[in-house]
Amino acid sequence: MGKLVAYRLAFTLPQLLIVSLLVFSLTFLVPGSPAAAILGDAATPEAIAQVEAQLGLDQPFFTQLGTYFSGLLHGDLGTSMRLGIPVTDLLADRVGATLSLVAGGMVVSLILGIAAGVYTGTRPGTIQDRVITGGTVVGLAIPEFWMGLILTSVFAIQLGWIPILAWTPITDDPLMWLRGLILPSLALGITGGAMIARQTRAAMVKAMASEYVDTLTAAGVPRRTIILRYGIKNALVPVLASAGVTFAILIGVSFVIEAVFSVPGVGGLMLTSVIGQDFPVVQGVVLVTAIIVVAVNLLLDVCYGLINPQARPQ
Amino acid sequence: MSTQVSAVTVGDPAASSPSGKQASSAVQAVKRLATQPSTLIAIVIIAIVVICAVFAPLIAPYPPDQTDTSASMSGPTAAHWLGADTLGRDLFSQLIYGARTALIVAVGSVALAMLIGIPMGLILGYKGGWYDRLGSRIMDMADALPGLMVGFVVIAILGRGIGILIFAIGLIFCMNFARIARAITLGERKKLYVDSATVVGHSNTQIIFRQVLPNLAGPMAVQGAVFLGSAIKLEAALSFLGLGLSDDQPSWGGMLRFAAENQADHGWMVIAPGLAIVLTVLAFNLLGDGINDALSGRRHSRMKRSLIGKKVVVQAADAPAGARTDVASRTATVPTDTARTAPASPAAAPAVVTETAEPATASAVLNLCDLTVVADRPDGGTTTLVNAANLHVNKGEILGILGESGSGKSMIAKSALGLLPAGVRLESGQVLLNGKDLAAGSQKDHHAVLGGQLGVVFQNPQANLSPVHTVGRQMTQVLQAHHSMSRAAAKARAAELLDLVGVDEAPRRLTQYPYQFSGGMAQRVAIGLALAGEPEVLIADEATSALDVTTQAQVLDLLLNLREEMGMAIIAITHDLGVAAEICDRVAVVYHGDVVETAPVTEIFDHPGHEYTARLLASHPAAQDRNHTLEV
Repeated sequence: MGKLVAYRLAFTLPQLLIVSLLVFSLTFLVPGSPAAAILGDAATPEAIAQVEAQLGLDQPFFTQLGTYFSGLLHGDLGTSMRLGIPVTDLLADRVGATLSLVAGGMVVSLILGIAAGVYTGTRPGTIQDRVITGGTVVGLAIPEFWMGLILTSVFAIQLGWIPILAWTPITDDPLMWLRGLILPSLALGITGGAMIARQTRAAMVKAMASEYVDTLTAAGVPRRTIILRYGIKNALVPVLASAGVTFAILIGVSFVIEAVFSVPGVGGLMLTSVIGQDFPVVQGVVLVTAIIVVAVNLLLDVCYGLINPQARPQ
Repeated sequence: MSTQVSAVTVGDPAASSPSGKQASSAVQAVKRLATQPSTLIAIVIIAIVVICAVFAPLIAPYPPDQTDTSASMSGPTAAHWLGADTLGRDLFSQLIYGARTALIVAVGSVALAMLIGIPMGLILGYKGGWYDRLGSRIMDMADALPGLMVGFVVIAILGRGIGILIFAIGLIFCMNFARIARAITLGERKKLYVDSATVVGHSNTQIIFRQVLPNLAGPMAVQGAVFLGSAIKLEAALSFLGLGLSDDQPSWGGMLRFAAENQADHGWMVIAPGLAIVLTVLAFNLLGDGINDALSGRRHSRMKRSLIGKKVVVQAADAPAGARTDVASRTATVPTDTARTAPASPAAAPAVVTETAEPATASAVLNLCDLTVVADRPDGGTTTLVNAANLHVNKGEILGILGESGSGKSMIAKSALGLLPAGVRLESGQVLLNGKDLAAGSQKDHHAVLGGQLGVVFQNPQANLSPVHTVGRQMTQVLQAHHSMSRAAAKARAAELLDLVGVDEAPRRLTQYPYQFSGGMAQRVAIGLALAGEPEVLIADEATSALDVTTQAQVLDLLLNLREEMGMAIIAITHDLGVAAEICDRVAVVYHGDVVETAPVTEIFDHPGHEYTARLLASHPAAQDRNHTLEV
């Protein structure tokens, strides 16, 4: 177990290093200078020079690189140019909401996706299979934010079951937090669930047609037990292998869902920073998102090793 | 970059063929496409969207920016079918013009992604080595970045605008195209025709353009269609956030942004633009699925053929070309053949008649009567795999079922077990286990006797065990299905069983996974599993065929011992004359789905009753004349 984690970590660290290098180099890609971009067309050369000095952009490349990495090691992601607040503080306030949202979306995706995939995968070609699989095709075509708008319309506005703008931090009131999470998680989870359902169905069909299922059936193990204990576990191997990509997609989509449900997460911060070209914040958000995705992938890799004995380091 | 794409699988690279056949297979694929209803619907939807985009000024009742303050925020009216926004701009006209924006961004970004991604993938896959390792690492890395995030960053750096939007989305997608192009190129690279092209002296560029690129066309068309849909979703999301185009340019996402702001009072406004997005994306996804199915249709029909009409090869001989026939194309039945080719032995005809028609004795444990197994063909007809087979096995007896691959002998076993694969069914006949007809009842009832009365060991030892469960877990599972025993008792019994089938260090081996077992050991475990329910009849379906000769001998000895100790009846299905000779009491010879002869083993070998049996024996490497081909 510890060996498995160490093994995966060894792959993760270079990945993080390269991502942070990419993030660092973002400001060099801005046409002209980031300072000019922030100040707009009316900026005087003096004002630009002053902002550049403030941001350290007038320093030689390697000095900037050194400052950036030593900052990273001390947990310093720079300061917002617009708000004058350290980026880490801005992120710390918002990362909880984003993580709740993505976790909620992931839970809904996994439950819906695996349930639908197992159900259809054990009866391929039947009418139930066709209807549900057809549903997943439609599910993939629905933009999550539109699903969010429709859910809001129906459950918040028409039926009034859940107040609009219901976001409550978990630290204030866990029950209210959960209530505020329901609609955004569903909006995120319906398309995520459709993706996982398709993967699970394919894997389940393959598992149920395998020789070990025949062997267990022939040895007298009831079909129900075979599906629940053997079919699902084998089918989960490929599903788990691509769950990391699903997670990365959900994080990106959560930024849009936040806007629909007014969730005070990282997405809103990113949005205002993109429009305002607040580069330190943009860089901070990209880096933190990448770290979260990498960390979750690490976790999933470990789970993958637990479920699939052949993926464990020998 | 992680981008949301429906889980459309790329056509298996192995299914693509060298460019010479490309043109004809492309025509076939298009023909197949035209027969898929969902694809036709998709094409109609896409055509409507394209017409709206191209002829927007003609179709839209108003210019998209024409204001009519009297209609401000009106619901649907005769003048404004979908209502109007705060400035009184016609929403239906915006929807039409929105199609134009959506298509321009989608087509532009996918074209850009292909332009960057395909050459990248080609080079990585073709050059291999360091390029590939580095490139693949970068592609893996890009997976850590959500696609939308990349869009955000590009827009933060470059600002808003249609060109920038196309660039951003193209950048998000290009890694996906690179990844697929690389995988396919790698696959093609390994194929012989690329090697032969090199030998003939074609340059790398020629090979890439003439041989590899045509094979990419199909999968790229699939991905292209799917990504067009994804691009429309991304564009909508970015415009919804106000990061796409400027607000005065009509787009579906922008319309939804406006609708969301006014949702509390004008909920209806979210419906039309959303449906436009869903239908268009759905159409592109269906088109992608359709192309994929059309391309892999080739592969499916191949798979079906290989399932139904396996090329018949006599494995006992050196597979002479003359011995190859196709079960599916079979017209003449064996008796006709026999009549035409003179019997090798005078005993032939009587043996066939007396033995196959011989009624089962009262001591028969398993008695298969007039079993006919058929496979449904795609054209609606059926192919007969087993033709009115009569077989029985007595208590403590070992019956061999001898035949070539594809002769139908395994289908006899599978129908006895009620485990026929999808598309294959028992058309008529009885499966009498101790006099009770299993074929007459439900499949559930049939399966109820498995393990406890009827056991089976299949051919492929490793595939017979679930790869993600320990051997102990699987054995205790089976034991607990038959006996009410505690987990600990089941474990102890499992260890005994492993011991019985000759697996050393049983307690330790129980904690291991199948991949930690050699083929022979895994097959012993499979036999152990089959024995767990103490069946009266054990069917060994090519149970030793995948094993090396020494291991095979050991497993055969094990089967003989088990018969001695437990008094089981065993049906050994094999193509191997040696196996049949070594362990069987009686042998049934199956040829093209017919049981042509059943006789005691010594009789079969000394005085083959049927022409086919005689030729089968003569084809064995041990027979003197090795050059004798098996003419059937």
